Order: sequence, then C-alpha cells, then structure tokens
Amino acid sequence: MAEINLKIKKKLDFPLEADSITPDNFAGKTAAAIKRLPLYYATKQVTIGDFFDVSGKSTDVADTKIIIDGDVSNVKRIGENMTGGEIVINSGVGMHVGNHMSGGKITVNGNADDWAGAMLEGGELEITGDAGHYVGSAYRGYWQGMKNGTIKVKGNVGVESMLWAKSSKPSNKWPTLYCGSADSFLGIHNHGGTIVVEGDVDRCVGADQAWGSIVIKGKVSRLLPSYKKVGEVKEVQLPNGEVIKGKFIEYSGDHTIKKETNGRLYVAA
Amino acid sequence: MVEKVRTVEDVCCPFCGTLCDDLEIDVDLKTDQVVEVRNGCQIGTKKYFSSNPSDHRYTKPLIRKNGEHVEVSWDEAIDKAADILVNAQRPLLYGFSSTECEAQSKGVELAEILNAILDNTASVCHGPSLLAIQDVGASLATLGEIKNRADTIIFWGSNPVHAHPRHLSRYSDFIRGYFRTDGRNDRYIVVVDPRYTHTAQIADKYIKVNPSEDYELIQAIRAMLRGSDLDVKEVSGVPIESIKELVDILKSSNFGVVFFGMGLTQTLAHHRNVDTAIRLVTELNDYTKFILIPMRGHYNVTGANVVFTWNTGYAYSIDFSRGYPRYNPGEFSSVELLMRDEVDAALIVASDPGSNFPAAAVKNLFKHPLIAIEPHKTPTSVFADVVLPVAIAGIECEGTAYRMDTVPLRLRKVKDAPGECLSDKEILERLIEKVREKMGE
Ligand code: SF4
Repeated sequence: MAEINLKIKKKLDFPLEADSITPDNFAGKTAAAIKRLPLYYATKQVTIGDFFDVSGKSTDVADTKIIIDGDVSNVKRIGENMTGGEIVINSGVGMHVGNHMSGGKITVNGNADDWAGAMLEGGELEITGDAGHYVGSAYRGYWQGMKNGTIKVKGNVGVESMLWAKSSKPSNKWPTLYCGSADSFLGIHNHGGTIVVEGDVDRCVGADQAWGSIVIKGKVSRLLPSYKKVGEVKEVQLPNGEVIKGKFIEYSGDHTIKKETNGRLYVAA
Repeated sequence: MVEKVRTVEDVCCPFCGTLCDDLEIDVDLKTDQVVEVRNGCQIGTKKYFSSNPSDHRYTKPLIRKNGEHVEVSWDEAIDKAADILVNAQRPLLYGFSSTECEAQSKGVELAEILNAILDNTASVCHGPSLLAIQDVGASLATLGEIKNRADTIIFWGSNPVHAHPRHLSRYSDFIRGYFRTDGRNDRYIVVVDPRYTHTAQIADKYIKVNPSEDYELIQAIRAMLRGSDLDVKEVSGVPIESIKELVDILKSSNFGVVFFGMGLTQTLAHHRNVDTAIRLVTELNDYTKFILIPMRGHYNVTGANVVFTWNTGYAYSIDFSRGYPRYNPGEFSSVELLMRDEVDAALIVASDPGSNFPAAAVKNLFKHPLIAIEPHKTPTSVFADVVLPVAIAGIECEGTAYRMDTVPLRLRKVKDAPGECLSDKEILERLIEKVREKMGE
C-alpha cells in the first residue's frame, strides 16, 4: 500500500475543517499536489501544506493509506465521503470523522469527538478510545442515518448514537455498532440497526425502535416502560449472521410504534 | 379641558410569546413618558414603564476606555464596533429574539458579510422543539382555533399563570369561543409538571411526574394508546391507572391541545421529549383532532426562527464560515461554541447571555471583544466594549413580530426613544455599511 504521512505542525486556536483528507482526494497525487488541497480554518480557506508536513506518494484510492500524526483532536471531517483506502489517526480526532463514508477503513488511536461515522454507508470505523455523541447517527432532520458498514468503539459512545439507523434486507445492508458502553438514547428511532454493547447503557435505549437488534452485555440504567419481556435466551443471532453466546433477557419494543413488533432488546440476565 | 395624555390603542405587547394585541397605553404629552397601561398583565405593563428614562437606560453610545464606559459619538462607536467585527476570526452574532423582524433580517445580512456564526435565543429555550419538528414534523394550529374549538388542554412543563399570564384568559382556558360558549366550563385542563404550580392549581387534573422523566411517561401513554398492556405498575412516579384514565380523556376529547414549555425542552432528553410528544399528538389524530404548540418565551423568538429560516434555510445555530449557511446545533450553537472557546468576538442584540448562559460560557464570552445593542444596563452590557443604545421595538419603534403560533402581528410605536437611541434596524444598517467599507467592498 502507498503510504502518505501527515504531521500537524501548528497549534490550533479554532477547529480546522479537513474534509479534503481522504484517500479519494489524495489518489494519484504527489506530496506537493496534496499540500495544495484546501482546508478551512475559522473563516479562511487555507491549504493542507499550511498546517501539515506531508510526505509519501499516492497511487489509486484502494491502495492509499494516510497516516496522521500530531494532535488532531480539533481537526474535523477527516475521511468525509471516502469510498476506499485507509486512514490511521494516531491521536484524538475532531468532529465528524468518517461521516458519509462508504468504503475503506479509518482507525482512530484515541478518542473521537461528536458525529463520528455519521450517515455511514459502508466501510469500517474503529475508535480505540471513547467517542462523542451521535456516533453513526443521522444528521439533523434526516430520517435515514447509518445504512451500512461497521463502527467499533472500544470505550464509551455518547448520547443518541445510531440515531435513525436503517438496514436493508434486499440489498443485504446491516449497519452495526460495537461499543464498550453507551450514554442515553442509544439506537433511538432504530430501523434495523444492530448494536452490541460490552458494558452498561444509560436510559431510553432503543427508544422508538421500529425494528432491529440491540444486545447489552451489561446493565441498563432505566428500561423504557414501553418495552415488554418476551423470555430468556441462551444466544442471540444477529442479522449479519454473527452469534452472541450468553444468557439474555429478551424484550420486545418499542411498543410505541406497533403493538406487535420485531424490535428486540437483549439485556444480560 | 386640555388633554394631558395621548392614548394609543390596539397595541401589541412586546414581552412574551402570547403577543397580546389589545393593550392601551397612555403617554404624557409633556414628558413623552408612559403613565398608564391598560389590559396588559403585570410583566407586560412593567416593560412599558421600563422604557421611561431611568438610571438603567442607555441614551448615548458608550465605549470602554481604560476600563470605564465613556460616552462617544455614534460615528466613533460604530467605527469601533465594525473594527471589532472585521478583525475577528470567528465572530458570533447572538440574540435577536426581543426585537422586530426587520432588524433580525439585517442581522442575517451582517452575519453573511462577516462569515460569522448567527444564533438566536431558541438555542437555549425552544431549539429542542425545532430539532424535534425537523425529525418528526408537527401538527400545529393558531391560537384562534384553540380559543374557538379546544375542549382538552394540556399544559406540559409550562406554567402560563406566571410565564404567559394572559394566555389562559385570551386563548386557552377562561375565554369563550364559537364552540366553547361556556368558556372554562367547556374545557378540561390537564397539567403535567413535577411541581404543583399555580397553573396546576386551577387544572381539572394534575399529574405529578418525576423531574426529567417525562420521556418515559409519554412513551407509556403512546404504548397504551397502541393497545399494549405494560409490564410495569408505575411510570415516572405516575400509577398506571392514572395513565389509563388520561389516555381515555385524550381519546374522547373533541379537540385537544398540548402546550409545552421548557419543562419539556430544557430538562434531560430535551428535543427527544418534544419528539415523543409530537408523535403522541400525531397518533392521537387516529382518534380525534389533536395539535401542539410550543409556549415560546420571548415575544419574537418565533420571528427570529422564521426570519432566519427564510433567509438561510435554518432557524438557529447557523455558521457562515465557509461562505454559505450550515446548521448544526451542538456544533454551531452559542453555548457550546463558547464552552469550547471557539468565538473571538461577539455582537449581542436584544439579549442578555451574561445572565442566562452557563458561567463557563459567559467567562469565555467576556474574555473577547464584546458589542451590545441594548436599551438597558444588563449583566452583559456592563462587560461590553461597545454599548449601542437602542430604541425599544414595539414601544419606541415599529416592526413585525410573530406570535408563538407563527401569526405575524404589527408592533406599534407609542413614544419616542430617549436621548440618541436608534432602532436595532438602523444600528445594524450603519454597522453593515461600516463593515463593508472596512472590508473594501
Ligand atoms: S401575556 Fe405576555 S404578551 Fe400578554 S400582556 Fe402579558 S407579557 Fe404581554
């Protein structure tokens, strides 16, 4: 794989918007050409070269790997709309990392700010630390958020993660989130998203879920009254084929949407 | 007998979102001061009297020099304000809810020229309602419909007796309407609130909900409306029997309304409380006519949302930094921007964030150059580097304002502004001209 190394060289007073940092935009470009790509800082248009040292050379999209070093925790929109290739970020990262991505892989070796993987349509986003609010969510006013792909967060995800996730059986698309723990309203308005939580979640998980599967291996701080107990199970089969072993209490819901519903919530027994 | 006062009739009260349009104001002919206000409630009346000259009223432009506010000419003040805005890298324009629509649209123009962030007070009051409406729509109506038709009224997390004092007598409770000829006796009033408020005390049914657990209660109501029996005996401190009773009342009404306030929008779950309330109302329309209305606080915060929307496509929390409007509360909303210290100058119009933003946000606001367009001394204006004294819209200048149900009404001028005060619109126009000049446009 052709590697491109980016190292941030300035301390930021304002967030830097870096939607140009994607394998798609870098493909086939030399370091000098990459340096000329635009970024946005406060109200000014600047270039990658103004803020980053760049080395390496890129070939085609699928073969491009971007490695980012230095503190980019206030750099937003890295990997926006990317369709392939790889990005590795060796720091915390700002808002909207990997939003609208449809292919390829992003690894964040640190924490991610809000809206990580928002509107994801494919590919894989991995965060080794915590993520902010709205992980894999729909943007304001959208009725369909994450439609495919996988997000893995080792630590905690903030409120309203996987908001309006939408699966599609005919096209075999199963948006999936794995996380360590979660704040309130995880999977709200879920339309087929799959969520697996290793630890505990806060109130209102699965609120207004129409269909989908949410598996919680820890505790729920307050279950919604509109969820009803179905029984106990020894394993859970996810729509993507994966099987999760363990004793779970199965709940159906959210019954605010329908009296009979396929929406399921599994909480460790 | 020689007339000593001039009476202005059918005046629209520029205080709360009820926007009563039947006030009568007496102005002393000699002193041009308000001497009597008829029909207004206590808070509305007080606002008219506050326009009279006092120690708190600004009458001349001020600039901070060596830590003190000193009086300067309009030219000097506008020049200084324009300097601050042009030299800022990330300016914020905030407020706008207590002024008229023409001034608000000038605010949009200025924000666009400066590539600034533009926000109004919905950001800290009913912004969550707007977010919810964008997510799930809303069934709304005008207050006139409610007056004439509504027989079931729910006040959820709102306390109009104190916040919108004449709402009950003009639209929602005591008033007689075309189909509600017996007024209060023809209406069933429900109050849902953690506190036994004065509105709750005049209701037919009071439901005491645990603080910040409204979401679960509405979910339970909705599930029961769908015909599900719940596993639990109590939700958010309310027994299931009581919820069942409420569901029956809602289903059997002829025309129901939910008026909701900050008890829904600014408690935990914020816009999701409104989201589920809207869906409840939508689902109730399977049985009967039901609508909901946000109890907007500032008299023209609705107008700010409307004006911003028709200019930019978005109601609040708008960022022009890339030359076109973008919208994302949480990312571009004033409090969050200030908390993250991403703003390096601010223009505050008709608002007082100094007294209602979180302390950490206010600290960052005061750290940087600050301009206040303000009629009175406020915790914000006393820290401002430039104070531009303004005529009070709806008292000292005309304009348009939108009532909480988005009905536009004309504001009247009843007297002249004291000293050198100009209207918000004139000040913003002069600022725009100066800013353009400095930016070489
Ligand atoms: S209810 Fe509101 S609009 Fe009406 S007089 Fe009182 S403050 Fe003014």
